[in-house]
Amino acid sequence: MAIRRQMYEWDLYGADGFVPADFPDAGVEYSIFTGGFGTLVNEVNLVKEDEFIVLDKIACSPGVSPQESVVAGGVLTKWVPNMQIQVVIDTTGYYRDPQNIYSSGVSGMASAYPSTLEEIPYYELSPSIYILPHQTWDIRYTFYNDLKTAFAEGYFTSIADTTALGRVWVSYTLFDGTDAFIAQKLLSIGIPVSVDSVQWFRKLLIKSRGLDTESFDFYLKAAKAYRENEDQKAILTGLKPYSPKE
Amino acid sequence: MSVRRQVYEWRNILPVGQTVSLNKPPILKPNNVHTVALPANQPVDIFIGGIGNNIDIPAKLTATQFVVIDAIAVWPESLAAQIYVETSRYFQDPDGTPTEGITGRIVPFPNGHNGIINWDYITGLNPPLYILPHQTWGIEVTPLEAIPEYTGNDVTDENISFCFVKYLLIDGADALVAKKLIDIGWELTPENIQRYKEDIVRFHLRAGLSEMDELEGLERRV
Repeated sequence: MAIRRQMYEWDLYGADGFVPADFPDAGVEYSIFTGGFGTLVNEVNLVKEDEFIVLDKIACSPGVSPQESVVAGGVLTKWVPNMQIQVVIDTTGYYRDPQNIYSSGVSGMASAYPSTLEEIPYYELSPSIYILPHQTWDIRYTFYNDLKTAFAEGYFTSIADTTALGRVWVSYTLFDGTDAFIAQKLLSIGIPVSVDSVQWFRKLLIKSRGLDTESFDFYLKAAKAYRENEDQKAILTGLKPYSPKE
Repeated sequence: MSVRRQVYEWRNILPVGQTVSLNKPPILKPNNVHTVALPANQPVDIFIGGIGNNIDIPAKLTATQFVVIDAIAVWPESLAAQIYVETSRYFQDPDGTPTEGITGRIVPFPNGHNGIINWDYITGLNPPLYILPHQTWGIEVTPLEAIPEYTGNDVTDENISFCFVKYLLIDGADALVAKKLIDIGWELTPENIQRYKEDIVRFHLRAGLSEMDELEGLERRV
């Protein structure tokens, strides 16, 4: 199990009643892994020495207007969080606004989870984000609809434990063991890291058994072979016209 | 993280009494929201237009940045979006006159809103629009018919005006590669940036195989 497609789903539900300290503040960024609310993990996500992560999908609850929330008999049965999500690697935020300042990221309107025919995601994390060994990574959410003030002003008195207040979904590929080392090697010779490229390079290493695989010659042949494979794939998928000279 | 897929989303929903929120979306609460009215045929800049969520300064690229705008979407159907770079407008009539731009009937936000699906621009603008270092860019939205102010329970996602732009921000060393690609006439895409970098690595590897008389007897390693 050295290459695994992984996912993580964060959600926050009501708890029959309402204790403000149990819910996030509006306009403040929290981690989906260690932020203190909803489903959590035990420690910060540090990529181990023999791991390599390719992050390619993030999405969160859609909806903007707080008027679309539903209260029945004082119980909040539907909440629109108006949320955005940001990816943070070590101390660097992935999303910036057009004036080059850290932003709260992509909204659930652009990348909805779950997505429906009324909310088909426009946003894809392409190119993917590589998270290297010894880096920490995090997904941080911000609610822009204020649950606590709504409670303080009497909009609702409790939240049903079946009411989802917000959801985030993350999908990534985890390479570990020898595949992580192959991923790093591909990165060092300028080949994109994907499931396909790692498996292809592994085959190439097996074919080269007994030969020196650390020489310029080997890397040059590998880089050329990768380019030929990619061109062949592009021709087969119609992305590149066939040329009899190639 | 030098080639990054970025987004900006503008909306005209704000707390009652406010018309603009600077640098981040406004914090909203039930029964205290409204949408700002947009008069017909009056363009509003989504970055610095003074309505909805705005930023402090116009979007201007630094010396080491490139932007490739590859998708734009708007809502409602009667709202049109026009991209500008410096003083030029992207969308124009066949006679060369700039138009109000592309409407929510073609590129609804979110895709599928009110049953309208973006089929024609599903892969975005093709070819995409390049913004070069030091250039200023932005997006103006123009209502083709007046959009009224909505208050109370009428402030639904259906009645909020949106403009969404998705772009590739290329900076640092990749901006140098991007400049080279434009110089040699390649399309500026993440795939081509990657391909060009692969070429550079291969050429260096090839250089490593060149004749080195005095070291010929030594084993060459990377």
